Amino acid sequence: MDHLTELENKSIFIIREAYYRFKDIAVLWSIGKDSTTLLWLCRKAFFGKIPFPVIHIDTSYKFPEIYAFRDEYAKKWNLNLIVGKNEEEIKKGMGPTKGAKLDCCNELKTNALKATIAKHGFKALLLGIRRDEHGIRAKERVFSPRDENFKWNYEDQPAELWDQYKSTAEEDNHFRIHPILHMTELDIWKYVQRENIPMTELYFSKGGKRYRSIGCKPCCSPVESEAATVDDIIRELETSHTSERAGRAQDKEDAYTMQKLRSLGYM
Amino acid sequence: MTTMQAKTAKVLLVGLDGVPSTLLANYMEKGLLPSFKKILESGYNLHQMDASIPDVSSTSWTSFMTGVNPAEHGIYGFTDLRPGSYRIFVPNSASVRAPAIWDIIGGTANGRTSTLHEYYRGVFKRPLRSIVLNIPQTFPAIELNGVLTAGFVCPDLRKGTYPEKAYDYLNSIGYLSDVDSAKAASRKDEFFNEVFAALEKRMTAYEHFMKNEEWDFFAGVITETDRMHHFFFDAAYDPGHPDHEVFVRFYGELDRIVARLHRLFMDMTDGTGFFLTMSDHGFTVLNNEVYMNAWLRKEGFLSLDGKKEYFEQVDAGTKAFAMDPARIYVNLEGKYPGGCVAAGEKEAVMRDLKERLKGLVDGEGRPVIREIYEGRELYSGPHSGVGPDLVCLAHDGFDLKANLKKDEVFGRGNFTGMHTSYDAHCILPKGVETGMRLHIEHLAGLILDHLKNGIE
Repeated sequence: MDHLTELENKSIFIIREAYYRFKDIAVLWSIGKDSTTLLWLCRKAFFGKIPFPVIHIDTSYKFPEIYAFRDEYAKKWNLNLIVGKNEEEIKKGMGPTKGAKLDCCNELKTNALKATIAKHGFKALLLGIRRDEHGIRAKERVFSPRDENFKWNYEDQPAELWDQYKSTAEEDNHFRIHPILHMTELDIWKYVQRENIPMTELYFSKGGKRYRSIGCKPCCSPVESEAATVDDIIRELETSHTSERAGRAQDKEDAYTMQKLRSLGYM
Repeated sequence: MTTMQAKTAKVLLVGLDGVPSTLLANYMEKGLLPSFKKILESGYNLHQMDASIPDVSSTSWTSFMTGVNPAEHGIYGFTDLRPGSYRIFVPNSASVRAPAIWDIIGGTANGRTSTLHEYYRGVFKRPLRSIVLNIPQTFPAIELNGVLTAGFVCPDLRKGTYPEKAYDYLNSIGYLSDVDSAKAASRKDEFFNEVFAALEKRMTAYEHFMKNEEWDFFAGVITETDRMHHFFFDAAYDPGHPDHEVFVRFYGELDRIVARLHRLFMDMTDGTGFFLTMSDHGFTVLNNEVYMNAWLRKEGFLSLDGKKEYFEQVDAGTKAFAMDPARIYVNLEGKYPGGCVAAGEKEAVMRDLKERLKGLVDGEGRPVIREIYEGRELYSGPHSGVGPDLVCLAHDGFDLKANLKKDEVFGRGNFTGMHTSYDAHCILPKGVETGMRLHIEHLAGLILDHLKNGIE
């Protein structure tokens, strides 16, 4: 079996297993390349028709291209789309330029997701995170319990041997399931190429720049790149050494730093 | 013979952030620092030392570790502006343009150079190993011949530590890169607990690395001193102050830790190692905060658009603005997008500013500004162009700040201590004097001269 098929089979197995264990399940879709690939795998797992809702957490600050893509494919793929939004905070003017960026993420992403989970009573979520994305994710498991405060105690998780996943949790907790944890950024693009999965145009170079990782418009910076097609991106990744989240991590670190500096009377 | 030589060439530096020489002298005299006293009696001198200007940790520590001035290392403060814009950014380890001591001795300068580096070119033929713990302005950790965990500001311990194994260890002992200073005002007891806990963790980690790693140069910095001083320096000399007891107890703990590290080091080197302690600036009691941008506004030099953020607020007609603590930049045409001072007018604007700054007095008529320097008087090197046009130092008691949100020139916050540029300290072995008043930029050279002895 070739590498991509092996990865695909593993992902589909996890998706089906998750659906079998949890009926109150949903998949998170940020419209980025990973979660769009995850959605594609969900469609394959259930022969084109995803039997559970698809959640998009809308901070209201996403790129216009993201909204356009979401609406187009929600229709084309006949998705049961739930849009989660912290309307109250958005109305109050919460945004990345108002106060600390961490507050903005917390209110418009984390709390919006908490409210959506509570409202619909989801017990499990499928997420498109990958092990190679960030240092801390190396410790992630395929089935990863979160407590009621969304806290993840990574030091208290059982070993996952072969396909023996821990899939029971305390009341109030929900499970995060990561069907593409084992894929790398390069695997994703190769799979996108093989399957011809549609992707938002933000990933493709225009005027020497493209987005390698997308989120909210004010907090993402494009990277210098001439890669205008999936083939170009694969070639670029095979020779690149910079981090995928290079355009994003800085913001979070800066927000922390600014808060620290303020606590000592600077700024 | 080789082992013996390598052993004696070892350097242990204990950095005590913001510890003033006058406070050490005073506390030793009062018998509050018995171990410091004993160490001095065994053959060391306590020196008063000048910090970098501005006397903030990011600049001063970078001057220490590179042994050169800000125009060579490029760090003028905790924040700076992106070239050609008013966009603020936080310089990090990658912004440091000159190699640090550990890069010079470890062969990891990687193209960065400096006057100091040139001086030692070719000397360290065999790379020496360093353990660098908690020095500010070293985040994210850059690969070195040794171990490094970054000091203030370290938003991510993993990214701030090299190699991975060192992170695993620090993480396993619950090492804290910094305490939460936001608690000092509202939850004092919690803050004190955290300060003592952080101190203990540092001791544990420093001892671990001293014993379990190979090294020639070891630098460990304690940050909690600076944190205690910012919020409780008014308690330092006042036995009637409600926090005097905890302040003195904290220093007692510091005394114990420094003694332990010194003893361990002397045991390791048969009493021949080069031991020193130093600070990046001094401290004194704060009576007033002085908001330089509010003053510039009042004097008609600065106009702000309150709808924007940070320095993007700088509005049409602005002639000058200030960045922390009191770096003043002329809003020069061609240098900034909204620059409106023509090159030919710059000198006149600076003269005008200097005259008025000299006249800045508080409500009781006391002058605020002690010294006004022009950038070109302080800085020389390839990065002098991005430095400030003027830098002010204040008389003790007046803490200069560049907060953009203040309307009044004078105010008070939660802070009772402020940095001083002239009262940093350095404890050096007798005989290692330079013959002149010590400046923080001198130390790297002294350390390198000693380490050189370990190279055959």
